[in-house]
Amino acid sequence: MKPLTIDHRSTATGPVLRVAGDLDFDQAPELRRRIGLLPLAPGQCLVLDLSGLEFCDSSGITALLAARQHALAAEADAVLAAVPANLLRVLTLVGLDQVFTLRPYSDPAS
Amino acid sequence: MDIRRRNNVNVTGRDDAPVLLLAHGFGCDQNMWRLVVPALAERYRVVLFDYVGSGGSDLSAWSEERYASLHGYAADVVDVCEELDVRQAVFVGHSVSAMVGVLAAQAAPERIGALVMVTPSPCYIDDEGYRGGFSTADIDELLDSLEANYLGWSSAMAPVIMGNPERPELGRELTNSFCATDPDMARVFARTTFLTDSREDLKSVSVPTLVLDCEQDAIAPREVGAYVHAAIPSSHLVTLAATGHCPQLSAPEATAEAILDFLESRQ
Amino acid sequence: MCRAGGVPDPAGNGAGMDAAFTALLEDSAEDLYESAPCGYLSTMMDGTIAKINATLLDWLGLEREAVVGHRRFADLLTVGGRLYHETHFAPLLRMQGELRGVALEMRRQGGGRLPVLVSAVVKHGTGGEPLLIRTTVFDASDRRSYEEELLRRRKEAERVRAEAEQARVEAEQARVEAERARAEAERARAEAERAHAEADEARRQAEADRTRLAAALAVLQQSLVPDSLPAVPGLETAVHYHTAAPDQLGGDFYDLFPVAGGRWAFFLGDVCGKGPEAASLTSLTRYTLRAAAHHDPEPASALATLNAVLHDRYTAGGDPRYCTCVIGVVEPGGEHGSVTVRIASGGHPPALVLRSDGSAEYLPTPGGLLVGILPGAPIGTAETVLAPGDTLVLYTDGLTEARTGPGRDDLYGEDALRAFGAGHAPAGPREVITALTGLLESFGEGLDDDTALLALGVPAAPSPTRPTTSPTS
Repeated sequence: MKPLTIDHRSTATGPVLRVAGDLDFDQAPELRRRIGLLPLAPGQCLVLDLSGLEFCDSSGITALLAARQHALAAEADAVLAAVPANLLRVLTLVGLDQVFTLRPYSDPAS
Repeated sequence: MDIRRRNNVNVTGRDDAPVLLLAHGFGCDQNMWRLVVPALAERYRVVLFDYVGSGGSDLSAWSEERYASLHGYAADVVDVCEELDVRQAVFVGHSVSAMVGVLAAQAAPERIGALVMVTPSPCYIDDEGYRGGFSTADIDELLDSLEANYLGWSSAMAPVIMGNPERPELGRELTNSFCATDPDMARVFARTTFLTDSREDLKSVSVPTLVLDCEQDAIAPREVGAYVHAAIPSSHLVTLAATGHCPQLSAPEATAEAILDFLESRQ
Repeated sequence: MCRAGGVPDPAGNGAGMDAAFTALLEDSAEDLYESAPCGYLSTMMDGTIAKINATLLDWLGLEREAVVGHRRFADLLTVGGRLYHETHFAPLLRMQGELRGVALEMRRQGGGRLPVLVSAVVKHGTGGEPLLIRTTVFDASDRRSYEEELLRRRKEAERVRAEAEQARVEAEQARVEAERARAEAERARAEAERAHAEADEARRQAEADRTRLAAALAVLQQSLVPDSLPAVPGLETAVHYHTAAPDQLGGDFYDLFPVAGGRWAFFLGDVCGKGPEAASLTSLTRYTLRAAAHHDPEPASALATLNAVLHDRYTAGGDPRYCTCVIGVVEPGGEHGSVTVRIASGGHPPALVLRSDGSAEYLPTPGGLLVGILPGAPIGTAETVLAPGDTLVLYTDGLTEARTGPGRDDLYGEDALRAFGAGHAPAGPREVITALTGLLESFGEGLDDDTALLALGVPAAPSPTRPTTSPTS
């Protein structure tokens, strides 16, 4: 199991969280906890940069869904950036590619 | 602690009179004073006692640590004085006990008002410029004989009982006193007596003092009496026309008379 | 004083005896004094020696001239003797006039001591005044030696006794110590036994708990998946359930049951998470689907109902939970026993169909979303006809997500599964399930998720209804 690391960066359009390591049953709750503490203003965009994500199971997907819900509750948007191919395949399989806004890069300008 | 029982304290004489405290020397007990007590008791309150480890004392109260020093015997004297609430007593000490009295007067000056030193010796061993009467070798021999021949010493008294038709009680008491002494305690007392050099303590004496010595004394020669007298400015020296180391036994009348004369002269 | 008369002739005759007797009678008093077998001396009252016999002088190695008039009796004694003489002997003699058998020590000229027994008597004048002291001295060397020997032996005996006592005390101490150590050891042993018994008991308890828990889990697991599938007329069915962790409730589920109009409904899915929370989600999902399918046998309707229920129950409250699910309805009555199957899927991998012609194809249900995350989520639907010899296979992603390859870093994947199906087609449900079970086993450690397999198909040749199989797990 690779330890989960979450780096937070504030940008003009909203917070960017770089999530790296394994997002599994044991570590996904930490991401949910961190997102729950994240202040979001209406109109902002929460970006989850997943370029460093090594593994994501259903608990991880739950955490991503929770992030989306947290953003929507604050009248903000949630974006998954740099989604690894494996995860993208799974997201597509379960239809979440239609739910999440996906971007190739984490830079909000791009 | 019951001091009266511990030190076998006996009080006689006149209740209202000044106190004479009679202290025995090594190897004896209060019976040594037997012949002078009647004359002294006519005019004084006479207190007799045995040091712990001697005579009729409570041997269970003995400890080598306490009685390996003359200060331990002096503590017995102070204990007896406090028990009887005696003040300004005349301490009459025989032989080594004379020096015990000096130490008691140092420790409790309010208790001791005068000293009578009967054939005293502050130091039994010859020293440079001092004749104590014994060489170091003599004392070693003495201690050796105590060490090795205790059986002889104790058995030596046995015949006294049978050969004393006139005054059997005296012989029996003396014998009992001697025989009752625990050999270990007697050895400690002997070492303390004969190895202690108390000459320095004489300087502390400031009370009126009578020094009694004898014309012939094989234990404390006359030089010793003179030495003690010279060392105590407040002292008076009387040499008895007597032989031996125990004038209270060999010349009881002269001894009592000298003591009484000294006491009368103070009044 | 010679020949002091009256001595009887002890024998009365005999010349030899006469000669000895004569010599005895001729012994002078002077000689008797000087050469007596004991020492004699007389002193003045102050102890000065006035007369002393040759025997004593000889014993002490002294010359008469040096002694008489010059030395006192005490001077002849050792220091100890002198001390005793001064403090006891002389005063007592003066008082009593007589002493007998007192042990003293005298000093020999040139060193050495002479143990003696001394008796003395005071001679008084006619007026009763003491004049002088007569003293006899007996050599007590032998007696002293005897006494010393006695003393030595007594001391030796005391020493031996003390040593014996000491040894006894030490032995007793050792015994007490040993007893203490034994008691300590006994206590420690009892303690260890008790701890052992407690550990045994705890182990038994844990074992019992585990057994009870396993039994409870088994019961619960059976409420999540049926322990047997009902027999379906005209269809053959088979199922397999692989549990990744034997002591944990699985997150996969399936069911097969009749609904109105002679139709049959089935579903298979996978809830998110694991453990008791997943189990409760599974339970809700299963019974919701069964109830919804009874109400409206259209698969998409049942799935929409499930989506609404899960979303309301969990996600809307900020606790997203979801499942992937495929649900289908079998409509019998087709030509030659063929059946029509309509399926609806929410985020679930596509079903695989093995055709009687030996081909294998997926039955795509595009657009279907995870069930429970969005209100009114899109649902993918598909329909197909299973002719005799066709088999529909449903599976959860434990199968396609199994890790393969030397480094276990490749996924088995949908392409490989379709190829596997094609390799086995045509095959009836039991044959397919058996093959897939073997495939799962071949994954070994690479299979780290629960996996459910459900196959149903129309038998290749018309035949009576065959019994269904039980879960093989």
